[in-house]
This record gives sequence, structure tokens and C-alpha cells, in this order.
Amino acid sequence: MKMLEKFDFNAGFFAACALLIFLVGATITTAYPAFTEDSWSKPNDGLHQYSESQLNGREVYKREGCWYCHTQQIRTLEPDTKRYGWRGVDAPISVPSEYVNDYPHFLGTRRIGPDLARVGGKYDKSWHRAHFMNPRDLVPGSIMPPFPWLIADDNGRDFDDLVNYLQTLGRSRDWRPAHDYEQ
Amino acid sequence: MSSTTADRLKEFPSARWFIISAAMFFVITTFVGLLVATKFVWPEFMGTAKWLTFGRMRPMHVNGVIFGWLLAADMGVIFYLVPKLCGTGLWSEKLGLFTVVLFDTIILCAIFTTSLGITQGLEYAELPFVLDVGVTLAWVLFGLNVFMTIAKRKHKKIYVSLWYTMGAIIWTAIVYITGNFAVMFFTGVNQANLNWFYVHNAVGLIFTPLGIAIAYYFIPKAANAPLYSHKLSMIGFWSISFVYVWTGAHHMIHGPISQWLQTVSIIFSALLIIPVWTVVVNFFGTVSGRWDQVRRDPVLKYLMAGTTFYLLTCFQGPMQALRSVNAITSKTDWVVGHAHMALFGGFSFFVIAGTLYAVPLMVRRPLYSVKLGNHAFWFMLTGGLIYFFSLWTGGFIQGLQWNDASIPFVNTVISMQPYWVARLVAGTLIFTGAVVYLYNLSRTFWGPDTEEAPATETASVVQRG
Repeated sequence: MKMLEKFDFNAGFFAACALLIFLVGATITTAYPAFTEDSWSKPNDGLHQYSESQLNGREVYKREGCWYCHTQQIRTLEPDTKRYGWRGVDAPISVPSEYVNDYPHFLGTRRIGPDLARVGGKYDKSWHRAHFMNPRDLVPGSIMPPFPWLIADDNGRDFDDLVNYLQTLGRSRDWRPAHDYEQ
Repeated sequence: MSSTTADRLKEFPSARWFIISAAMFFVITTFVGLLVATKFVWPEFMGTAKWLTFGRMRPMHVNGVIFGWLLAADMGVIFYLVPKLCGTGLWSEKLGLFTVVLFDTIILCAIFTTSLGITQGLEYAELPFVLDVGVTLAWVLFGLNVFMTIAKRKHKKIYVSLWYTMGAIIWTAIVYITGNFAVMFFTGVNQANLNWFYVHNAVGLIFTPLGIAIAYYFIPKAANAPLYSHKLSMIGFWSISFVYVWTGAHHMIHGPISQWLQTVSIIFSALLIIPVWTVVVNFFGTVSGRWDQVRRDPVLKYLMAGTTFYLLTCFQGPMQALRSVNAITSKTDWVVGHAHMALFGGFSFFVIAGTLYAVPLMVRRPLYSVKLGNHAFWFMLTGGLIYFFSLWTGGFIQGLQWNDASIPFVNTVISMQPYWVARLVAGTLIFTGAVVYLYNLSRTFWGPDTEEAPATETASVVQRG
């Protein structure tokens, strides 16, 4: 109990103990997995490097805050694999190796709109064009904002790049047996 | 007996400027939140101007309320209570004022960067690198001022509020650097893990200990009663400093992250019941037998409501972390309701109480209007309760709907509409409360002189050595 009394009077000793006890959990949950979990930093076989256009597409995705409303993770839950499947094929569950080239990561935390981890190849470019002009034309009841400037500014470069990026999502898993991916 | 305005505005300049600027950001960034809430009900609201879209106004609201309002207000109240507990002045008021100017400049810049879409793309860490460096500097200067004040203290015994303040300063330094600088060196899941370590501990090891430091000081003061138990405050402090930091990964339960880390985060989320319940028992125990005072006093109202919301938040937290519950609530508006209860219902209420008690003492006159203080409280409480309950209910229902893959996604969005309308009403009430609060504070600072007796402090019921 001597030690507990010391905390009442010795600020330096107190601060040192508060730091040390915090560092135990901090190290084990951050630094330790970064060095031991190989799958977190090793890309899977089909994972490609983003092209320049796709990287700019990620910049647009980041700038417009797409990631606030759309997650990119098929969780280990059956409803996720069913809901985000396509034409009768279940979506494969997301694994860490899929994200190795993602900087920043877009795993997300809130699904105001649907998950996008497997959206690559589901819709063609003309669909995306109409959808970005006014989402409610295609999906009545949607609350997604329109993004006309992506198409209007700079000959639609941002729109082209963004769609190029979106079409990569999930493709490294090559999950559709019929390979019926839209362009 | 009345002193001139110039006379009165001499003491605690750093604390005063932090508090009044924070209260202004509270009104502004709550209004941004209100605009965002409107977009859920009318998606075409405010047209298609780039800088008024959801993706840019959301980070403006979030960064504005957590840094511009809550953290700044916390720092202001800490600049008041640390010198009080140490029996000495703040180590350097000049440095304190510089910290205020630096920090508020960063927040003003952040309003522009977020609206321009300049972002690092990470939750709570959107601000660009330069501003991150500024925040770090401001935090170091704040910490230096606090630690130097403690070093030259006259009262030898360190009261529990000082523990939490020192803990918050040390932990935050590491948490903030991890979340804003270390993340730059990682990609993918590694980066996500550091990101969630930061986000979770921003709440748990910045706002929680600062809020609790404030409540530990002002609850005995406002109730005019000694602290219920020193032993409980020890258990509470040392358990939170060990337990909280392990829980970041509970934001990725069922996600693409190692199972052992998920399990660790769930176990430690459950253990959080220890630090939370000890603190809450200590707070309620202190006020026990004096509940009649709560009726009159807005300060005690905020403190007791804040304690209740803190208890509820930290009951929800462990529940949401359980794999079965998480499969329903995760990624829904339930979580948004939860986050608002913690940061608005809990820690904002604590710091508002602190300002309502301390500002009249700083300027040596009574609060402009106790009645307005109570009105603001009822606006915020009613708004808060409607906000929390509508989003919990709506979010839980949406989570259940998601788990039935035969329901199209957009149908689950449409079924949220009544809850989003309720949230808009709630936001309007909260905003109204914030405006009344700011008006009351600024009249206390700068209103015309009155003949009323200046505010007095209750006897030193906060234990000192």
C-alpha cells in the first residue's frame, strides 16, 4: 500500500506508471500484429498494382468521402455473402491480403449505402454515369448525393478514373464462375 | 461592490478564451451536423455544390465537434481546475494564450480543408499533415503548461482529477501520433488496425479521462459534498489505464482481421465495466442524499445526466462488441446513436457543467441566467434522448433487415426515414440548446455590470493535502 500512497504525492512516478501500464496493451494490439500477421502485408495471388488512372480514382473516392457511406468488407456473416453476391453466386468473404495495395484503406465503418467490396464488374460504365448524375433515376428511395461535377469537369476524367477503380473491387478474387464482368 | 469589466477579465485568460471559442465552435459545428441530418431526409437539400455534399460536411461536423468544441472546451476547463487544485497560478498564461490561438487557427483551417475535400481519408484523422503537426505542437504546449503547474504546486497531495489529466496528456500523445503519423507507413488491414486503435482511444483515452477529471472536480464542488471514496477512484483510474487500450479491434468484428485480436478486443471491452462502474458509483455516491439540489442547479443537472449517459454508453459498448449483437448493430445507425451518447450526452455534458460552474468564478460575478442554464439543459437533454433512441431503434431494425438478404438494400434505407426525421427534430433541439448556452456564457463574460453578488466557491470539499 506504500506504492499506492506514493501516487498521491509523486507526480513523476505516477506518470511513468500510467505510461507503462498503457504501453502493454498498446504494443500487443498494434506493433505485435504488424510484425507477426504475415497475411496483413502479403498480397494474394491475383492482386494487381493499381494503374495511374485507378490511383486517381481512389483519390476521388477519398476526396468525395465515398468511404463514409460505403464499406469495403464482406464479413464472416452469411447474410453479407448472400446480399453482396451476384446472379446466384455468393460473394467471397474478404481476407486481409486483398487490401495490401490500399493506401489509405477504405474498409469503412458505416453502411448508409451498400458495401462495395465486390462491386467491380457488376454494373457497366453507362450505368455508373447515369447513377452519378442522379442516383434516384436508377434507384428510387436512394439518398446518395448526385456528383455531376465528376462528369462535367475536365472532360469527365475523375468519373473515368473513379469507375476504373470501382471496377477493380473484388476482381482479384475472380469470384464469378461465368466471368461475366461488365466493363 | 461591482468591479469594472476590465478588472473582472483579468484572471484565467487562457481558460476563458479556450472556453468561449469552443462554445462558438459548438454552435457552428452543431449547425453543420444539423445540415447533414437534413440531407438524410431531403437528399437534394442545398443542391449539388461540391463543398456542401455529405462527404465533405460530415468530416467538418465530426472534426469540428470533437476538436473545435469538445477538446478545446476540455483544455479550457483543465486550465482552470489544474491551477485551482495546485494552489498556484497556471505556469505560463502567455503560453496558454498562444496554445489557444494556435489551436483555434487549426480548427478554422480545418473548416476550409474539409470543405475543399482535402483529406487523408482516415476517420478522425482527416486533417492534412501540416495541421496534424500543429495539433501535436498545441498538445505538447498544453501538456507542458499542465505538468509545469503541477510541478510547482503548493498542495502536495495530488487529487484524482490531476491523475486523469496527466494520464490523458501522456496517452493522447502516443494515440494521436499513432493515428496521424504512424498510419502513413502502413497499408490495408495494418493501417485499419492502427486507425481504429486511434479512433477508439481518442474517445477512451482523450475524452474519457478529461471528462472524468472534470466531473471528479465539479461534482463534489457543485454538490458541496466530499468525494464518496478515494479507494474507488484509484481502482477506476488504474483499471482504465490498463484495460481501455486493448479494445480498438472491436470496430472490425467479423471483418478481415485476425480472430485472436477480435477476441482480445471483446474480452477487454467487457472488462471496461470495472473502471466505468467504479467511477459512476463514486459520482452518484457523492451526490447521494443531496438530490434536491439537482432541481435548482443546471451544473448538477448536467453532471448527473452526463454520469447516467456515461454509464449507459459503457453498458452498450461491451454489448455491441459481443459477436452476436455486433452482427446486428455494426455498420448501422445504432453506432451513430452510441457515439453521440458518449461524446455529446456524456463528455459534452461534463464540460458544459464545468464551464457553467467555473466561468462565473473566473469573471467574479454570477452566471447571467440560471433559468437559461436550465432551459439549455432541457433542450439538450430532450434532443439527446430523441437522437439516441431514434437511431438505436432504426439502426437495430435496419441491422435485422440486412440479415435477410431477400430485402433489397434500398428498402432498408427507405424504412429508416421516420427515424431520420426524428433525428432531425432532435438535432434542432440540440442546436437550440447550444445557442442558448453560448448566449448565457457570453452574457456572463461581457454583459453589463449587475449589482448582484459575485459568484462564490463552495468550501474546499475537494480533498487536498
